[in-house]
Amino acid sequence: MKKSTGAIGWRKGAVHLFPLPALVVYVLFVVYPIAAAFGYSLFDWKGLVRGNFIGLGNFVSLFTREPFNHLFWNAFGHNLYYFAIEMVVQNGLAFLFAWLVYTKLKGSGFLKVAYFIPRLLSVIIVGFLWKLILNPNNGVLNVLLKKVGLASWAKPWLGDTHTALTSITLVNSWYGVGFTMLIFLAGLQAISGEVLEAAKIDGVRGFRLIRTMVLPMMIQSVIIVTVFTFIHAFEAFELIFAMEGSQGEPYNSTDTLAIFFYRIAFGGSSGGDSVAIGLGSALAVILFLIIASVSALFLYLTRNREVQH
Amino acid sequence: MKKWFSGIAATVLLTSGLLAGCSGKTDDKAGQGAGNAGTSAPAASKEAPKAEKVKLTIGSWRTEDVDAYAKIIQEFNKTNPNIEVEFKPTKNTEYNTQLNVALQSGSGPDIIHLRPYAAGAQLADAGYLEPLDSIKGLSSFPKETLLAATGSNGKVYGVPTVFSATEIFYNKKIFQKYNLQEPKTWDELMQICETLKKNKVTPFAFGSKEGWILSLTQGALGPAFYGGTDFMNKVVSGQTNFKSPEFISSIKMMKDLTPYFPDNFVGIGMDDMRNLFVTEQAAMMVMGDWEIAVMRKANPDLQMDVFPVPPKTAGGKATVTTWVDGSFAVNAKSPHKAEAMKFMDFLTTKEAGTVIVNNLLKPSTIAGIQAQDPLVAKISKYADTQSTPYMMVVYFAGGNPTTKGTLENTMQGMYQNMLTPEQVADKVQQSADTWFKPKK
Repeated sequence: MKKSTGAIGWRKGAVHLFPLPALVVYVLFVVYPIAAAFGYSLFDWKGLVRGNFIGLGNFVSLFTREPFNHLFWNAFGHNLYYFAIEMVVQNGLAFLFAWLVYTKLKGSGFLKVAYFIPRLLSVIIVGFLWKLILNPNNGVLNVLLKKVGLASWAKPWLGDTHTALTSITLVNSWYGVGFTMLIFLAGLQAISGEVLEAAKIDGVRGFRLIRTMVLPMMIQSVIIVTVFTFIHAFEAFELIFAMEGSQGEPYNSTDTLAIFFYRIAFGGSSGGDSVAIGLGSALAVILFLIIASVSALFLYLTRNREVQH
Repeated sequence: MKKWFSGIAATVLLTSGLLAGCSGKTDDKAGQGAGNAGTSAPAASKEAPKAEKVKLTIGSWRTEDVDAYAKIIQEFNKTNPNIEVEFKPTKNTEYNTQLNVALQSGSGPDIIHLRPYAAGAQLADAGYLEPLDSIKGLSSFPKETLLAATGSNGKVYGVPTVFSATEIFYNKKIFQKYNLQEPKTWDELMQICETLKKNKVTPFAFGSKEGWILSLTQGALGPAFYGGTDFMNKVVSGQTNFKSPEFISSIKMMKDLTPYFPDNFVGIGMDDMRNLFVTEQAAMMVMGDWEIAVMRKANPDLQMDVFPVPPKTAGGKATVTTWVDGSFAVNAKSPHKAEAMKFMDFLTTKEAGTVIVNNLLKPSTIAGIQAQDPLVAKISKYADTQSTPYMMVVYFAGGNPTTKGTLENTMQGMYQNMLTPEQVADKVQQSADTWFKPKK
């Protein structure tokens, strides 16, 4: 009797071994690289050869040595800008679209699909398409502006320091709006119709209805979208790389932390430049800390904020 | 009992299989070079009395040139029938990493296609390359050329084979139409620009969206203003620096050319530049020889020619800007060093030079080689007789970010009206100060 319970205990224990393959894969391909990057950041590197242990030396250089220090803050500012534009334009429009679809506007089924279509393209293709559209002399946008008599509005969108980053963030909003809309729509559809009905009977309408009733009840979707947007903005790389390359051109105006990292760790796109693995790893660690800590803090501060109904 | 046991067994099997799979892969990669060497070495020693056939591998980033190198190797085999050579290129952007990993584990190809200048010297300084003291043919190479493969101990580690050369490409048809000749002085070049502009033809296909174009163009046109090789030698020896009026004037010249650039040139990159030139919307382009093939493919009817950058004053010398594109070195760990050295010897001969020029379509580092292609022949002649080194690549590709990169970045700022030519020069010098030590 006792023996058999022991066997059952064993069986129950054995269950815990089943996640092992997945765990090994996770440790090998997720935990190990992160830990390794942290390790690399503590050494001095000569090209690809590891040199002496220098403690936090790479971190110190990153924040004190010209031009890394000002490039770091420049890139950091661009990440924040990216985040702000995404929040306002992408998520603002996404909410509007979700609301339109939710209120069963005529043709909303078609709109739902239409908004989501850009998301089905690869980022590289999106970057390539928009590079053609934004081409300064024969791109569709400038040709159109010239045709309708707004020639003075035609700009070298991706070549002017004042418009390059904004252009890219807007393209990214175009790309991401459909997915965000779906999250918002799911949030909206989870609200029970009776509550809104009751509010309407009580005379709450329009913007006030959204502000006081709808948003609080779908706050969980808003939080998720905000965290996603933050992570996405601070990892901004692919689209910028596709449209402007790895140098943050023109004149550092599209440099983000991830592009900056790529450049110092892999030496640009030509393959012949010098690399600084230590410095690059230090930057990667900082980037990881920023994203992880801010995301965690935000989730902690906004926990249990959903209004129950 | 059986059930959980088999569960564990399956788990163990799965994980070990996974691990084995991973390690298998890495072993494979690292051992690639060693594997080659290993399999050929015993084979060679076994068959030694019979054939003594040895196999060498060449590692390179030029995946585009496989056919050309097959011809070059064929020529080598005419005199060395017992040495089999295999050209084994890796993708351009991954070559450095893969080579470094292989060299660190003591393997790698027998012959290494070496990146020019600082990047190649790094491998030499790390002790991965065999010095080429015994290669006599190298003595006829100018010092500037050998610099592309010289370690910090002053020894030469590679045989440079071809140059890249920048000059001014022009559209013959447009020049004829407006009755224009190849200019002999800078002022004549400016007059050509004026005439073209009046006739609504863009003088220069140029754009500042991609930084490398900026240093390339400054490297080609700048020598006319800062005084070519003489000035460069003074900078290198510390007698002057980038804040000097000569260098600033070369940056200012770049800014002064703005009226002759296409509309919205700050948003134009290489593809658009090439487009403007091959579709005959622009009459000239400052570019390197490697674009010839690409442009011919884009518009086979394009009638283009080249001229060197004209001097500032009538008595001066016109220049083309050159740098070594790559060189070949011997892996210090290769089991067939003697045979690899034979290949090095071969690369310094005129026979090799001729095959190389006619197949790679680039000017040879060996003087006096005739190319069949008229355009390549013309560029080769300029490269032989009136070249000046591309200062930013030859001497200033060091630092992090590189001084060359700093020039590109700050000139971009200049074209955005955010920096003056003086500020550009200041920043370039600041960058050089962080690492460059004048060679007395």
